[in-house]
Amino acid sequence: MSRKRLYSALALLALVTGCSGNAAADDAAKLSLDAALPTSVPDGTKIVVGDPATQVALKLSGQLDKVSKFVQFANLSGGPQTTEAFRAHALDLGSVAEIPPIHATWTGLQVKIVASKFRKDPLNHPIYQLGIAPGVSVKTLGDLRGKKIAYSPGQAQGALVLKVLQKAGLTKEDVKLVELPSTGDVYSNALSGKQVDVAPIGGVQIKRYLTKYGKDGATTIPHGIRDDAGHLYGPVESLEDPGKAAAIRAYVAAWGVAQDWIDKHPKEWIQGYYVKDQGLTEADGQWLVDNAGHPDISADWSDAIERQQQTIELLAKETGNKVIQAKDLYDLRFQTVAADAIKGGAK
Amino acid sequence: MSATALPGLRQRTSSAPVVRRRRLGPGKPIRFGAAIGPVLLLVIWSVGSATGWIDQRVLSAPWTVVTTAGDLIADGRLQSNLWTSAQRALIGLALGIVLGVVLALISGLSRLGEAVLDGPIQIKRAIPSLALLPLLILWLGIGESMKIVTILLGVFVPIYIHTHNGLRTIDSRYVELAQTVGLSQWEFIRRVVLPGALPGFLLGLRFAVTGAWLSLVVVEQINSTSGIGYMMELARTYGQTDIIIVGLVVYGILGLLSDAVVRLIQRRALSWRRTLAS
Repeated sequence: MSRKRLYSALALLALVTGCSGNAAADDAAKLSLDAALPTSVPDGTKIVVGDPATQVALKLSGQLDKVSKFVQFANLSGGPQTTEAFRAHALDLGSVAEIPPIHATWTGLQVKIVASKFRKDPLNHPIYQLGIAPGVSVKTLGDLRGKKIAYSPGQAQGALVLKVLQKAGLTKEDVKLVELPSTGDVYSNALSGKQVDVAPIGGVQIKRYLTKYGKDGATTIPHGIRDDAGHLYGPVESLEDPGKAAAIRAYVAAWGVAQDWIDKHPKEWIQGYYVKDQGLTEADGQWLVDNAGHPDISADWSDAIERQQQTIELLAKETGNKVIQAKDLYDLRFQTVAADAIKGGAK
Repeated sequence: MSATALPGLRQRTSSAPVVRRRRLGPGKPIRFGAAIGPVLLLVIWSVGSATGWIDQRVLSAPWTVVTTAGDLIADGRLQSNLWTSAQRALIGLALGIVLGVVLALISGLSRLGEAVLDGPIQIKRAIPSLALLPLLILWLGIGESMKIVTILLGVFVPIYIHTHNGLRTIDSRYVELAQTVGLSQWEFIRRVVLPGALPGFLLGLRFAVTGAWLSLVVVEQINSTSGIGYMMELARTYGQTDIIIVGLVVYGILGLLSDAVVRLIQRRALSWRRTLAS
């Protein structure tokens, strides 16, 4: 009697603690990574995409129903969250900067970049500035010697710090690197609390930091390095599934058109994304749009691959990982997809 | 006590005929006593902000928080996020209560059950639910089920521990009486075990309700598009300290209110107890 109840309870426990691995084993024929991309998306295909900003852009521009049949959006982006979801087989595409694809490869996850976006005139439209703590005097990169700098390995901000040191002709021994992950407002708080002297801060954080702590002597300086890479990347296993590969191709095309739409409709973008979706003020949105400049989505990735190779070599040297080939990170079958879609208008 | 009493000298007791006994209990309840602590906090916060002793940039002033909350309510963000969070917390809480009580009954009423269940649950208690999150993502993905299970795992442990403890401390006289009058197993559970374990269960519930809100902020940082935790995380990204504090205040109020509800249930359900507190 109680034995029976015990068994049923144990079954319930097993159910709840969920040993329900959601590895959807595909028995379909694998698509090899050098086979031509299938162009029609079979019915019933589903890809999960972590690209929240583009989701809003597609909605605002009325393009959402082009992809909604086979795309399910997840609200994640950035390296740590997307790689975690890739490992859980819960995501097929993620939107990240330059470093996560490299890091994912180093940690044994096979990924490929399928779309890349840069900025026109990148040195005058950087994503990051070097935030300088109140009361610390740093006017040029050379002044960084001996300073405490926030450093986050595995994130774009961390790689940027290494590039800045390289540019200033300094080594890691000339400064004091403080390991600190850059999430949310951690870096601007660390600066204002004088926990670090220098930290790369991006986007609205720059504006907030200066308005809040400018009167205490907080400043920012430009670093003069390209930091404008933005990629869509996904796990190789998704690209080996013919249905998913076709869906990813269709999504990349829609993504390209959406980036172009954002560039041509700043007013709608500020209202619909920055104000309504992200809860910022109109002034913040305007500031972000002005600072972003215009997107550069090229049909030729060779320059991007070369720049990424330099980043890999610098990171490998500093972190003790082995040098990998940047061209292996890119799935060149997608090279022209986004650019062609923009040229051809919305197909 | 006269002020001139020398140390070591015994006080002469006044020759009053009535000997007044010292009170050992806490005495009569203060009216609105529960509100005094939170109100005092609020006063310190307000005075500190008004005098500039608390830096606005580090901790927004109470009135800033109120106006920010007003703005969030005006454009509907606060309500919709609160509603989503409340749904997640309540589903997790409900499932956690059921699981906790069922496990406590199995482990409390059968030796085998205790041998099998109690150990793993104690192990689970030593592992923070939030540290399990990476594993839960691997097992359950990034959807809603992962969020609910995380809350459930945080909730069922206190319910289990306190219910189990309450059940095990039921006076053996009642068990003997139940056997004497020939109650069935189910009747015994319904009339003796559950009422007897109720004080323990309700104490566990007090831990559990706040625990459910606590888990929310973390699970809502992963693939959420709504919820109080999501709202706070988004505000972090943009350095909007005032919105973060609105979220904290909401959590505080929710915790206080849900605790008050459980205490009300406690007073009603346990009115038969004559204890120090009454």
